[in-house]
Amino acid sequence: MAATLCVKLLPKQGWLPLTQIVRHGSKSVTRHRRPMHILKQKLMAVTEYIPPPPAAPRGAYPSQSRKVKEGSPLVLLMKKEMGKVFQENKMVAVAQNNGCNAEDMMMLRHSLYKHDIRVRFFPNEVARLFLKESIYCNMTPLFMGPTILIVSKEPKVKEMLKTLRGSPQMTLVGGCIENTLLSVQGLQNYSKLPSVTVVQGELVSGLTMMTSRTASLLQRHPTHLSALLQQYIKQQSSDAGAEAAPKAEEAT
Amino acid sequence: MAAPGKVSVVLKTVKKIAIQFSPFESNVRSTRQFLSMVGSEKARATNMNCEVITVVKHDKSEPVVDITYVDGDRLVMKGANLTISEMMNAFQSRCRDKDPQAKSGEKK
Repeated sequence: MAATLCVKLLPKQGWLPLTQIVRHGSKSVTRHRRPMHILKQKLMAVTEYIPPPPAAPRGAYPSQSRKVKEGSPLVLLMKKEMGKVFQENKMVAVAQNNGCNAEDMMMLRHSLYKHDIRVRFFPNEVARLFLKESIYCNMTPLFMGPTILIVSKEPKVKEMLKTLRGSPQMTLVGGCIENTLLSVQGLQNYSKLPSVTVVQGELVSGLTMMTSRTASLLQRHPTHLSALLQQYIKQQSSDAGAEAAPKAEEAT
Repeated sequence: MAAPGKVSVVLKTVKKIAIQFSPFESNVRSTRQFLSMVGSEKARATNMNCEVITVVKHDKSEPVVDITYVDGDRLVMKGANLTISEMMNAFQSRCRDKDPQAKSGEKK
């Protein structure tokens, strides 16, 4: 626009004006996408970025992934945290969440907190570094993709399973209860087990059943004898009573 | 490996996706990544009727992705030796083919 104006005003070629008229009525900054001038369009099309061709095809070399520096203080801190988590909590379960939005996450955390179950997040790299050095190295394949840790001091597997069934995005992958690695089926079987007191009661009753049986067998004869004697005494007393009653009637 | 390209997952033509894997195997990486991409919020928002069912097993079986389309076709992908980009390419190419002709005409 300025160029078209200038063509008329300046007779000499290549003589730029001191002042350039910028405002021409139509704005340069608009709310919609302003249609580019055809010259600008051509310029943009000609100067498009052409990336250099890759020296090797894509799958030839392994990709350079960002490696977490092992010695950095943040990593050490997170490793210590993980160590603490594994020590304090009897139950540590790993779940994968595909696309849980913040609201659902909050609801899930709230419903788990009611049973004193906490949800923790650790980066997979840090988790792998920690697990390599600890006794839980067999849990390493579980930590892949977007994972979260569900930890609790008491192994409350039933409540956890119920809550996780409510949210479809969470997929339970495995868990470690009291230093024992369990799969999903293992966790389900664990939840179906009766509690410790019930099992102890069953054990005690089973053991005492045998001894009580022998005791009752040994005492069978004396008890029988004492029962018979009691019956005899009753009969005797009833006969004596029957004799005394007609005698009393005869007397009166 | 991140998601291949920035193409979003469109599940309009998909009725059900059943994914099963055993997490203690070493060949489940691509299947788990596929699950995270298909189960994401954006993907689920494209089709609320599509079910994504995950079964976690422990029997050293191969990871399998079974997709049932609206018109009855089935796509079974055994993820043991597939990379995530191959799985996504196969899945998305079929989805695009099954899309109604009008949509693909608009895209062109």
